Amino acid sequence: MNMKVKILRKKNPGSESYWETFAYNGPENNSIAGVLDYLNYHDDPVNVQGKVSDRITWECSCLQGECGACAMVINGVPALACETFLRDLKGSEIVLQPLRKFPVVCDLAVDRSSMQENLKKTNAYIGDYIPSPGEDHTHQYNAAKCLKCGLCLEVCPNYVNGNTFYGAAFANDCYLIYARNKDKAGDIRKVYGEHFAAGCSKSLSCVDVCPVGIPTLASMAKLNR
Amino acid sequence: MNEHGKILIIGSGIAGMSCAVRCAELGLHVQMVSPYPSERSQSVMASGGINAVLGLPGEDDTIASHIEDTLKGGSYLGGEKAVTGLCESASDIIAWLEKIGTVFSRDSSGTVSRRAFGGQSHKRTCYCGAATGKQIVTALVMECREMEVKGLVERLTGRHFYSALIEDGKCYGALLFNQNTNTLETVYANALIMATGGQNALFGKTTGSTLCDGYAIGQLFRQGAELKNLEFIQFHPTTLETSQKKMMITEAVRGEGGRLFYELDGKRIWFMEDKYGPNGNLMTRDIVAREISAAPSQVYLDISFLDPDIIDTRLSEVRDLCAKYRNIDIKKEPIPVTPSVHFFMGGLAVHMNHETNIRNLFAIGECASMYHGANRLGGNSLLSAIHSARITAEALSECSFPDTVPDFSAYTEAQKKKLTSFTNTESNFPVSYIRDMTAEIMQKHMGIIRDDDSLNKGLEEIDYCMKISSHLKFDSSVNTYLNYSMESILILAKATLLAARARCESRGAHWRSDFPDTDPSQQYADIISYDNGAYSIRLDREHEYES
Repeated sequence: MNMKVKILRKKNPGSESYWETFAYNGPENNSIAGVLDYLNYHDDPVNVQGKVSDRITWECSCLQGECGACAMVINGVPALACETFLRDLKGSEIVLQPLRKFPVVCDLAVDRSSMQENLKKTNAYIGDYIPSPGEDHTHQYNAAKCLKCGLCLEVCPNYVNGNTFYGAAFANDCYLIYARNKDKAGDIRKVYGEHFAAGCSKSLSCVDVCPVGIPTLASMAKLNR
Repeated sequence: MNEHGKILIIGSGIAGMSCAVRCAELGLHVQMVSPYPSERSQSVMASGGINAVLGLPGEDDTIASHIEDTLKGGSYLGGEKAVTGLCESASDIIAWLEKIGTVFSRDSSGTVSRRAFGGQSHKRTCYCGAATGKQIVTALVMECREMEVKGLVERLTGRHFYSALIEDGKCYGALLFNQNTNTLETVYANALIMATGGQNALFGKTTGSTLCDGYAIGQLFRQGAELKNLEFIQFHPTTLETSQKKMMITEAVRGEGGRLFYELDGKRIWFMEDKYGPNGNLMTRDIVAREISAAPSQVYLDISFLDPDIIDTRLSEVRDLCAKYRNIDIKKEPIPVTPSVHFFMGGLAVHMNHETNIRNLFAIGECASMYHGANRLGGNSLLSAIHSARITAEALSECSFPDTVPDFSAYTEAQKKKLTSFTNTESNFPVSYIRDMTAEIMQKHMGIIRDDDSLNKGLEEIDYCMKISSHLKFDSSVNTYLNYSMESILILAKATLLAARARCESRGAHWRSDFPDTDPSQQYADIISYDNGAYSIRLDREHEYES
C-alpha cells in the first residue's frame, strides 16, 4: 500500500508547529496506530524530502480502544488511532493532527489534565454508594466506561479549554455520582447545571464521536429531570 | 502511629490507587506518581472479573476451596499463609468496591453476578459486564479524587520512576524523571511503594499495556532488591492476532461455555474435551496454552451456539473486539485464537506485609510476586492488586517513621550529571532497535516451551545486546525515558532467562521440554539477586519471604 501520511508536528510546547509528510508502504489492514508504529520503527523515519526525522510522538497504552490515550484528529475527524483503519479512509493521503482543544505537548500528544482538574474543582466524586430502587445499572455501567480521551470535547462547539463549560465527559461523571449517591444529588446537579447544562447547545456531536458509545443524552435527561 | 507519614506510590492503576486511598483513610499523606492518568493504566484492560466467596445463604462454595484452587493453580508455590489472607479478604474487598460505587453486574435477586473461570471449582468470579477493570478504575478514580480534594492524596503525573533513594538497606524515597521538564526530581518519603505492573516490554507486544515495561523492577534489582519466580510467565491461551497487538479473548468466553477445537480432515476436534473431559475447556491457563500451541493447526474458540442475548449482555466487548479488528461475527463463526504473554507471576520478592528485602520499599499488584506461585488463576489478579494494596497501607499505618533522612544530595547530583552528560551525546543507533531485539530474543527463547540449549542461546544474545547497550549514546529521536530505561530492562531480561535456566523441572507456567516432570524437591520459590554485575539464584527453602 502506498500512501502519504501528513502530520502536524511540534517539538515541544513552546515551539512552532510544522507539517511533515512521510511515505507509508506498510500493511493495508493497519490501524492508524499501526501506521504510526510502522513509520517509527520499521526503519528510521525518513520524510518525503528524503531527510531522516525524529520519531513521531503520540500516546498509546492499550492499543485496543480501552484507554483513550491515542485520541487525535484523523483526516479532520477526531478518533482513536487504534480504532481507525486504513480500509475505512478515503484518498491516498492521511492527515494527522493533535486534538485542537488541548495544549500540545509534542507532535500528536496533548495535555488533557484540564479534564481531571475540572472534576476535582467541582468535588465530582461518588463518596459512598447508596443503592436506590429502580436504578438504571446499564446506563451507570455505560457512563462509567468514559475513557477521558477528550474526543467529546474536541467536537463540542461549546467547549473551550479553560472556560467554565466542561463538556460531556464531565456530564457523564455527574450522572454517575447522581445515580450512585442520592445524598450528593443536589450538589452534583448544581455543578452540572453551572458547568454543563447552562452551556450545552445540544449539538450532540459528543454522542456520535464517543468511542465507547456513551449515550450522553440519557445522562442529560436523567440529570435534567 | 505516626499520622504524618509520607508515602510515595509509583503507579496509579488499581493497586496504586487502592493503596493511596487506604493510606489516606489511615491518616498517611500520599504522593502518587505516574506518567499518565489512571485511565491509561493497564488495569482498565482487566476484563474478566474478581474472585470472591461471598458467603451468601445457600452457597456451597467456601473460602477453603478458593484457597485450595489458588494454591493448586500455582503448583503450590504461592505461600499458603499469604493465599489464605488473600482469599479471606475477598468478600470484604467486593463489599468495599461496591461501597465506593463500582457498577457490578447483578443477577435477578440483586446479588453481584458471578461466573466460572478456568481452574476453579465454583462460580466465584464477580464481574462488571466484560469490563471489570475499567469499572473498578472509574470508581477508584472518584475515590482518589475525594482524597485529592481533601488534600490527602497528591497526584504527580508526567513523571517516570528513575531510581530509589537507598542507603544501608533502607529506602527513603525516589528520583523521578519529569518528562515535561526533562529533569530529575528528588522526592523523599517514609515509604516507597511500587505499583508498576508487569514487565511486558521484555516481550514486545503482549495482551497488556505498552506502558508496563519492567524498568522499575529492573532498576531496583540493580539497587539491591531481590526478585522472585521470574520464570513463571503466564501465556493467555486465547488471544486474537491483529496487526497491532495480540488481543485477549477473555476466559469469560470459556466460562460461558465456549469450546476449543481445531480442524482435521474437515472434522472439528474438540481436543480439550477429548483429553480432559466435559470441563476441559476450563483447565488452567498453562495447560490450555500448551495444548493450543501443540495443536496441529489453527485453533478456534466457538461461542456461536450461545443465546445471542447472552453474548450481547455478557460478552459484548468480545463481540465488538472481534468484529472491529478482524471482522468476525462471534454469533455466527468461531474465533481463531493463539496464546500470548499475559501476566507475570514473578516480580519483586516481598514479605507478608509486602515489604521487599529493602526496608521501607514495598511492592504491590503485578510487580510484586506473592500469591500466584507458578501460575495465576483468572480473577485473582484484581483481587491480589487490591488486597496487596490494603495489606501494605495497613502495615504502614502501624509504622513509626524516623525524622532523620540521610543526605542524598551527592547521589542525586551525580545522577543528574550522569543523565545530562548522557543526553548531551548523540547516537545514530536507535535504542528502539535494542528494545525490539530484546523482545525477539525473549519471545524465541522464553516461550511456552523451553529447554537448556535455547535458554543458553537467549542468554548469549541478551549479553550481546547488553554489550551494545553499554556503548550506546543518546538517541534523540525518542524520549529520554526510552533511552535511560534500556539498561535495566536488559538486566531484567537476563535475570529472567537465568531463573528459567536454573529451574530444571516443569511446573505451572514454566515448561521445560528437557525436564518435563515436576520435581518435588524444587517446590520452592526461587530468589535472584544482583551485585555489581553478578547474579545469584537460590531456592527459598526456609520460606524467608513468608514472614
